[in-house]
Amino acid sequence: MTDVKNLFAPTRRTVMLGATALLATPAILRAQSAPITFGTLTPLTGVGGTYGPSMRDAAANVFTAVNEAGGLLGQEIDLVSEDTQTNPEAAVRAVRKLIDVDGVSVVIGTWASSITTAVAPLCWENGVMLFTVSGADSITQLPHMGYIARTQPNSVLQIEVAGDFMLRQESTGMAWIGPQTPFAQSSIDILAGQAEGAGIGMESLIYEADKSTYRSEVDTILRSNPDFIMLGGYAADSTVVLRDIWQAGYEGRIIGPAYAVNPTVLEALPAEVTEGVFTWEGAPDVGSSAYANVQASLGVEEVDPYSAQTYDHATMAVLAAAAAGDASGMAIRDALRTISQGEGDAVSDAIAGLEVLAGGGAVNYSGASGPCDFDEIGDITGTQFLFRQISGGTPSDFERV
Amino acid sequence: MLSWLFSVATFAGIYALLALGINVIWGMGGMINLGMAGFFALGAYASALATGAGALPIPIGLALAAVLAALAGGLLCRLTLRLRGDYLAIVTLGFSELIRLIAANEIWMTNGSDGISGIPGPWRAELSPFQFNMLSCALVTLAVLIVWAMTERLRRSPWGRALRAIRDDDTAAAVAGKPITRFKVQAFALGAAILGLAGAFYAHYTSYIAPDIFRPLITIYIFLALTAGGTGNSTGAVVGAIAVVAVLEGSRFLEGWVSVLGGVEKAALREIVIGVALIAIMQLRPRGLLPETPPGPFLKRKDT
Amino acid sequence: MLDLLPQFLVNGIITGALLAVPAIGFTAIFAVLRFPNFAVASHATVGAFAGFVANVTFGLPAIPSLMFAFLIAGLVGLVSDEIALKPLRRYGALTTAIASIALTIVLENVVRFFFGNDLRGYDLPLVRDIRFGDIRVNPQQLENMALAVVIMIAVFAALKFTRMGKAMRAVADNPGLADLKGIDAVMVGRVVAFVGMGLVGVGGMLFGLGTSIDPLTGFRFILPIFAAAVVGGLGSIPGAVLGAMVVGIGEEMSALVLEPAYKSAVGFFAIVLVLTFRPRGLLGERAY
Repeated sequence: MTDVKNLFAPTRRTVMLGATALLATPAILRAQSAPITFGTLTPLTGVGGTYGPSMRDAAANVFTAVNEAGGLLGQEIDLVSEDTQTNPEAAVRAVRKLIDVDGVSVVIGTWASSITTAVAPLCWENGVMLFTVSGADSITQLPHMGYIARTQPNSVLQIEVAGDFMLRQESTGMAWIGPQTPFAQSSIDILAGQAEGAGIGMESLIYEADKSTYRSEVDTILRSNPDFIMLGGYAADSTVVLRDIWQAGYEGRIIGPAYAVNPTVLEALPAEVTEGVFTWEGAPDVGSSAYANVQASLGVEEVDPYSAQTYDHATMAVLAAAAAGDASGMAIRDALRTISQGEGDAVSDAIAGLEVLAGGGAVNYSGASGPCDFDEIGDITGTQFLFRQISGGTPSDFERV
Repeated sequence: MLSWLFSVATFAGIYALLALGINVIWGMGGMINLGMAGFFALGAYASALATGAGALPIPIGLALAAVLAALAGGLLCRLTLRLRGDYLAIVTLGFSELIRLIAANEIWMTNGSDGISGIPGPWRAELSPFQFNMLSCALVTLAVLIVWAMTERLRRSPWGRALRAIRDDDTAAAVAGKPITRFKVQAFALGAAILGLAGAFYAHYTSYIAPDIFRPLITIYIFLALTAGGTGNSTGAVVGAIAVVAVLEGSRFLEGWVSVLGGVEKAALREIVIGVALIAIMQLRPRGLLPETPPGPFLKRKDT
Repeated sequence: MLDLLPQFLVNGIITGALLAVPAIGFTAIFAVLRFPNFAVASHATVGAFAGFVANVTFGLPAIPSLMFAFLIAGLVGLVSDEIALKPLRRYGALTTAIASIALTIVLENVVRFFFGNDLRGYDLPLVRDIRFGDIRVNPQQLENMALAVVIMIAVFAALKFTRMGKAMRAVADNPGLADLKGIDAVMVGRVVAFVGMGLVGVGGMLFGLGTSIDPLTGFRFILPIFAAAVVGGLGSIPGAVLGAMVVGIGEEMSALVLEPAYKSAVGFFAIVLVLTFRPRGLLGERAY
């Protein structure tokens, strides 16, 4: 036992001694992080793992392209990717490493709202810009001093738009079914308000995520005979719910967010199950070169909304740094709105934008996920919404609002 | 870099507290508690709510966290007293999932899956992030030392010896006149109190808690830590926790060696490395890096 | 709400039958090797993906795909047990159980390494439910349930009539006595690791049929599997079947009294309730 203690106590003392010695030299350590380093923090394992890999790749491809075209501010961009494991505790440890070891000035792609909220204070305290796709309303209300920008329309706006759509399609009875999320209850409240205004019924059910069947939940929701059901979950549980609703013989309409009824879901389910299902999303700019870039670099026809967004995150980080002449988090924060909106030349990819900026011009970036304009708290504004309907396993445009 | 080391050390400290708590319940008391994440959550929420909405000082939050977790632990232990280890493992696992479900669904109290943000940390506003990391590391290290000394002392006390006797053979201990129920409930409650305390430290350090944090993953890490370090032995618990955090964090640096792989493959490989490393440690040192030694009096040389 | 009761009961029986297959595997491993093997989660995933490869890559129909799932999950179970868990067994059930958790992390990520995180669906047609009055059931679910029942019968027959089955029961009931009788416990252990995890793999594929699978497939239903085995009595194979029914029906019926968001809590309450009165589960711990 004493051996152990002797072994242990000096170790701790040595650590503390070493720590004090190192305290004197933080400047040297800082200097090591001089090259431009950006980080992605997407869910590569855990329940968000269906989204994270291509989100990461979409961002990585932007940096590769910029490096090949000569880099940013005359330097190569280093990309460091960490995994959130879809767990806030693991994500906090990962972002610590990104900030303190790699010295990133930008973190791209946090997905789950709980993870964004967990890592956000570390970002703003350390002057690191955080780009996120999380939808929970509370995120941009954090005291983030401008260090958060999100490209996902907040959940209130999304639900209102979709509820309006359901009413325009003359729904006579609405229903909402989804797992417990930060926006489950607010979604239900919004839809219930809209349904009441229209004098129709509205049924809702919050289920437990990660189950392999929702038959009884579907039975419960179908009791009220809705003719339009909104899905509130993500890809994995939406597959199960879509199957269960279809098998129950439901003949009405269904609408789900495009990130939940996404290409992998359409791939995994037989076409008849998803026939006629509506999806909606902040309208991607399908004709833009940004969208084409994401399509080409990921090798897909249909771009996942989240991957389109991380492509935009990466591009905006590059352009903001170029406009500011400085790749620090603070400089990118301050320059973000000068390149994302305003009177500059409309550009939709990093290389073109860099050229304009190099020539002394101004740019207004409009990306793969939409126009990318931000209000003062970092929420996206002026988003158009695109409704699509699935037929034969592929979505086609239905309506833009 | 240095700031990162302090933060990793803080996490290691929190893991060490968790391992010490589990060590009291499992290592010393012989009761398995796969519901660790539940007590961790109870402590975190208790202190976050008390110091946030309740506006109480942080030390009171810490105390409340420990007391609440202890009460829950004592109660759970009382309910499950007759169960053998394997059953207890699964019941306690269910308990922690129940706590997580409550945290996610009782929005009026816990703010649901949005979680609670802006939990106060000691002098967080006045300090730079670097200084705050350093302070947190110092405070958590201090807490680990205190809990370590306390549990080591307990282990060598008559109470600890009786508990050990019950763990090894409860029939014999009962025959010898030991009040088994009381000992077990006390051990469980004490261990749970330490877990709750760790939760409170976590909440005040990271300033944010949400139900997702308390998935069983962290329980897995701590049991691996304790098994790797050596169960029944407080020093082993601390060493094991440090070893696990070293594996978890160190594996991030493997990334540079496998640059041909895509993001998912790297992430998967990292977790494979973590799992294999832990199994390897267990096989090479089945009794842990520091096996349990029969307890002698505290702070005296013991010849074996 | 009560009008849905018969429907929920039917849903519960179907869920219970599906749960029973992996629960038998889990409890059989416990009966012989005497530790709760938490690696069932990743073995269910392995089975689901093996079935996916057989069905989608090789184009095999459902039944041969299920056999393939059984084979691969069984082999992975056997090999990983030999390498990772067996050397630890003599240090106690709980040490081995903890190591099995580390093993499950490894296997889940091996699947992730090769297949990624994308959702994948089987290449099998889905059919709509058929109605009997107010009650609807899905033909595919009936088929799955029939399969589950056939598998259960096969397991019971094997235990009762084959030499290996009898040896397994002997080892489960009294390892010392079995040893005296000259039964090779190591060999029995291998067979059980293979068959047990094979059944878990089949369970993984049965659950994945008609939905989609990803590396977390197994994790989605391990809690009910554990609950089923515990409620029935750890190590009791008929107990696993009974426990699966209790948990399956309980979870589906819970919608009558409980918020659906608390579904998993049912397993927990069922365990606490049953164990309060019967600390060794409903049917005790005799293997058969």
